[in-house]
Amino acid sequence: MKMEDMPLSGPDNTKLEALVNDIYSELVEDACLGLCFEVHRAVKQGYFFLDETDQESMKEFEIVDQPGVDIFGQVYNQWKNKECECPNCKRLIAASRFAPHLEKCLGMGRNSSRIANRRLASNNNMSKSESDQEDNDDLNDNDWSYGAEKRGEHRKSQTSPRRSKTLKHKNEFSPFQYNYNAGINYEMLGPDEVQSFLTTVSSFHGRKKSFQSQRCPQHTDEQRMAVRVFLLGPSAPVLPEADSVAVPESFDIPDGQALMSRLQWEDSPEISPSDSASSKASEEKSGSPFPIKRRTDKEPVSVSLTGTNHSDSRSLSTKKKKPKLTAPSISSIYDDLN
Amino acid sequence: MDHTVSKIMSKDYQMKAAINQKLIEMGERERLKELLRAKLVESGWKDQLKAHCKDVIREKGLEHVTVEDLVTEVTPKGRALVPDSVKKELLQRIRAFLAQHAAL
Repeated sequence: MKMEDMPLSGPDNTKLEALVNDIYSELVEDACLGLCFEVHRAVKQGYFFLDETDQESMKEFEIVDQPGVDIFGQVYNQWKNKECECPNCKRLIAASRFAPHLEKCLGMGRNSSRIANRRLASNNNMSKSESDQEDNDDLNDNDWSYGAEKRGEHRKSQTSPRRSKTLKHKNEFSPFQYNYNAGINYEMLGPDEVQSFLTTVSSFHGRKKSFQSQRCPQHTDEQRMAVRVFLLGPSAPVLPEADSVAVPESFDIPDGQALMSRLQWEDSPEISPSDSASSKASEEKSGSPFPIKRRTDKEPVSVSLTGTNHSDSRSLSTKKKKPKLTAPSISSIYDDLN
Repeated sequence: MDHTVSKIMSKDYQMKAAINQKLIEMGERERLKELLRAKLVESGWKDQLKAHCKDVIREKGLEHVTVEDLVTEVTPKGRALVPDSVKKELLQRIRAFLAQHAAL
């Protein structure tokens, strides 16, 4: 950039230039001083000469530039063709496959337990014909047929805390109970198991899938009628048709209030104020035809509520509260039935 | 500024002081400083000068070197070693700043 290009006049220009140069010099001197202070500190602290090594070490770590060798002088696939003996199974494994093999072999990897269990299950499927007499009876009862994988995995549910003698169909609910088992989760379910699991879940939401009956296969119709009579009184309506589509919704709405009143263990203010306690309350206390299983979690079910009982007509009239209560009522019904 | 002080100071000096003040206030001085440092490192000026420092230190003795020694030895060389391109760029920036902000 030439002086003549400056738009300013002569004397001011030189003054300006001098000023500019002054400012520049100051900046450069600042930089030099900065460096001096830095070096001086490094000298006094003793780390100034650390980057200098003797010639021998320098030669040792020189960059290597030969073909077939990396810059450190190491060969890339030196160990690829070698084989190692597994200390567990005594097999000769290729070096690059050794680590994954050890994982599976020793059972310590992330997926090793999953794959092993799956393999065991499929083995049982092919080798064993019938595993358990109890399961057989249940199989005869219901409409769907399980794959034998279910029987193989039946063993898993034995370790789950939710196992109970009243629970005949362990197979059906074992997918849920898998959460309590060590190392078994949804990922280990085979395609058939996932299918039945999904159909089980979806049946709870009223969508009809491939299985034949809409009813819960865990109980018979007689049990259902007994429960209905017990809960709703002698005037219980007849069981709806097995193949009706909108099952849970229609099932719940008229009975939600009544069931909630009997199954609720805490007094919820949302439920409309009670009538005088009917004789049903006393019935509930005494032995019921359907044993209510002892709950393993949270609050115990105190079936005898202090006076919060409805008649069916009242429950139907309180339409406002139904949307709130149907959701919890579903869970409470099935929790209790479990 | 004090009235008496302003009389003592020449106009040039006043102008210089004013411009410096403006440089600092607007943060331009810091920016210029950082720019210069970055360019010097980039161009290898710093390493050059550090090597020179090593010589000075070896000469004076590691234990006895002082800041003044380093400054007197290193600064002139540092000024001389600044690459031309860096110098030109900085001058240009300073001029631009002055053209923009100086009351001439």
